[in-house]
Amino acid sequence: MPSTSLALTPGLGSFLKSLKTHPVETSIENLISLLKRRQIRHSRSCATATAYLLRHVVSVCKTSDPLKLIERVQTVGRRLVAAQPREMVVGNVVRRVLGLIRDEAEDDHEAEFALSEAGSESQPQTPRAFDDPSPSLPLDRDMLSLRAEGAERSSSRPTLHSMFSLLSHPEAEFSPISTPGTQSPNGRMPGHGPGKDVKAEVLEGIGEIIDELGQVDDQIASYALEHIHSNEIILTHTSSTTVQKFLVKAATKRKFTVIHAESFPNNHEATHATVSGNPLDDDENLSTEAFQKPLIALGITVILIPDSAVFALMSRVNKVILGTHSVLANGGLVAAAGTRVIARAAKVHQTPVVVVSGVYKLSPVYPFDFDSLIEYGDASKVLPYEDGDLVDQIDVQNPIYDYVPAELVDLYITNLGGHAPSYLYRIVSDHYRKEDISF
Amino acid sequence: MATTTEGTAAAGSKPFDIVATYNELLRSDPDITMPIAAIEALVHVLTHSPSSTISETLDLLEKSTAHLKRSIPNPIGLSAGTDLFQRYLITTLQRPGQLGPAGDFKAIRTHLLSNGRLFIRRAKESRQKIAAFGRGFIRDGCTVLTNGGSRAVASLLQKAADEEGGPSAVRFRVIYVLSSISQNIEEPSGEPEGMETVRALRAKGVPVSTIPESAVAYALGKADMVIVGAEGVVENGGIVSRMGTYQIGLLAKAIGKPFYVVAESHKFVRLFPLGQYDLPIEQHVVDFKSADDIAEDKKKQQNPSGDANGDKPIELPLSDSVDFTPPHLISALITDSGVLTPSAVSEELIKIWF
Repeated sequence: MPSTSLALTPGLGSFLKSLKTHPVETSIENLISLLKRRQIRHSRSCATATAYLLRHVVSVCKTSDPLKLIERVQTVGRRLVAAQPREMVVGNVVRRVLGLIRDEAEDDHEAEFALSEAGSESQPQTPRAFDDPSPSLPLDRDMLSLRAEGAERSSSRPTLHSMFSLLSHPEAEFSPISTPGTQSPNGRMPGHGPGKDVKAEVLEGIGEIIDELGQVDDQIASYALEHIHSNEIILTHTSSTTVQKFLVKAATKRKFTVIHAESFPNNHEATHATVSGNPLDDDENLSTEAFQKPLIALGITVILIPDSAVFALMSRVNKVILGTHSVLANGGLVAAAGTRVIARAAKVHQTPVVVVSGVYKLSPVYPFDFDSLIEYGDASKVLPYEDGDLVDQIDVQNPIYDYVPAELVDLYITNLGGHAPSYLYRIVSDHYRKEDISF
Repeated sequence: MATTTEGTAAAGSKPFDIVATYNELLRSDPDITMPIAAIEALVHVLTHSPSSTISETLDLLEKSTAHLKRSIPNPIGLSAGTDLFQRYLITTLQRPGQLGPAGDFKAIRTHLLSNGRLFIRRAKESRQKIAAFGRGFIRDGCTVLTNGGSRAVASLLQKAADEEGGPSAVRFRVIYVLSSISQNIEEPSGEPEGMETVRALRAKGVPVSTIPESAVAYALGKADMVIVGAEGVVENGGIVSRMGTYQIGLLAKAIGKPFYVVAESHKFVRLFPLGQYDLPIEQHVVDFKSADDIAEDKKKQQNPSGDANGDKPIELPLSDSVDFTPPHLISALITDSGVLTPSAVSEELIKIWF
């Protein structure tokens, strides 16, 4: 995973390296400044850096009281999010970790509860079974068990946040889940035995998140053959590793045509590199995944087009496959500038739009203000500073992202499978705890 | 209304009258919602009956609910409350724990009976919660179009307006759509619903413009978003709301403005209307008449001794008429359990029913 040799330029590689040697506080400051300076960008790099940092934070945390852990992760998370609020994956990873700690704390509690209640019923529940997913399992199984866990969880806390909360008993002692924080200190035995367990399992859980981040693209790609058929014409946009892997996977079995819009001016160089298979040297993405056989080497016809030709060609396109920066709770997405134009054109031509995205990009944040999600980039890419006379007189804007409303997307493919945009809220509620949404 | 009093008379044989209680609750507290009033009324029913077994209680609840629904012209809102109450009782009894089957039935009974005030307080607090969730929607410099007399919308807008301790008060404007039909039957020339909110907002320094319903399409170009309240949120995520909401939804969709619904989650009701005319209420908004019919109506009015409806459902007065806004027109529902997409409503309902 972290195998970048570029230690000189600050970025994900150097950060991961420094993590082992530097004290936590320095590492946190380090990541904050990297995020602020945009030296770590791309959803996955940010997510990976955050996950590693949090693992470090939790592992050096002296306490093993889940309450304190949550507090600690929350403060670190808040600082990271404040550093770069538009990188929503940072917040997502923090929420996942918070959820992990809460789950472990509750399982602990539940186990105690079950112990005290033991004998009354044959087998009330088996919370422990989910606690130790053996690390030797192949990841697909792991994911399955994770999903099962999620489903189990949501069903095992039946009335917590539901409409019943209106009528529930004021001191709802039968639902310890609702207030694990306030319950755990007095509910737990003074011994620190179970507490230690929690920390180890949280670390293991973070390890799983990191694994997931590493394998997300391959999992998404495994759905490729269901969605790309022979002789189809696929339109895609900008250079996204996820999309590229998806297409390459399909290309191993099928023959189809890819039309690639170049996404000038922010990402056209990377797009050209992806199409031609000559990776850029300064690609700060994790290097292992940038180097792969280009589609043309697999015998796929790839047509590179300027963004302005999208509408003209759309009538011939069978399917649009898009990568994304992050996905929001309402099913809308924030993606590279130009995506909305493509999605809109596809809508006009009734062409299906498929968005491929890892679950880690799925944010529980509701987009209150679409404009605030858009980041503006280097204006000199549109109007070079060599044109000195003009620079003073023209207001140049170069948005990096677009907001694409949910109704322009037909299908999301995540590492869990294909989902309709209206179903995304369910995945959100499976992955994040309600109490963590605004941590 | 004559019909309501008749329903009351019919139930007069019983020592306790749920319909009167329900109406009294709604009248006495202007802040109370229909589902909560229904829950309160059911709590009163339990207080007045000595039922000590589970099935006796459930049977009593079922009968009172049916009676209440029959006697109220628009039972959509209240059925959300009665359903919630019944499901809560059943689910709590099935769940292990102190209030469960092993425990004492009396425990849950006393809990419900002694905490009526608490439920009302929680319901009112949920409006505050919604306001907290919804605050993010109202940004500096935006214009909100709203209608009707929804208290949830009013509290949301007022909360946004007087955020004094917070970072800074939001500067926003409101376009208030006022209904042409007066709410009060006794004084038809009285002020329309929502004027109170308009005054409160203006007092807080929010510029408010009031427009008639016919100007919605014209005014929508100046608005950034539409926020409306709801009487009931149905299973597919659509809403049952004050007449005129549907057309605002259609217009907002056509003009491309987001359409948000503010509703407490206890208003979710298990109903799946397929269209405007599929609601379980009797309202004669579209009423075809020829000259003969009008003459006959007049005659009837002069001697109203005729057939007082026995079994027929009670007709909803025109001023209280509602319409159904389908889910595809709704951008999001702002509830006390967060900002939901319309498709998330069914899940909340499934959680309590199955």
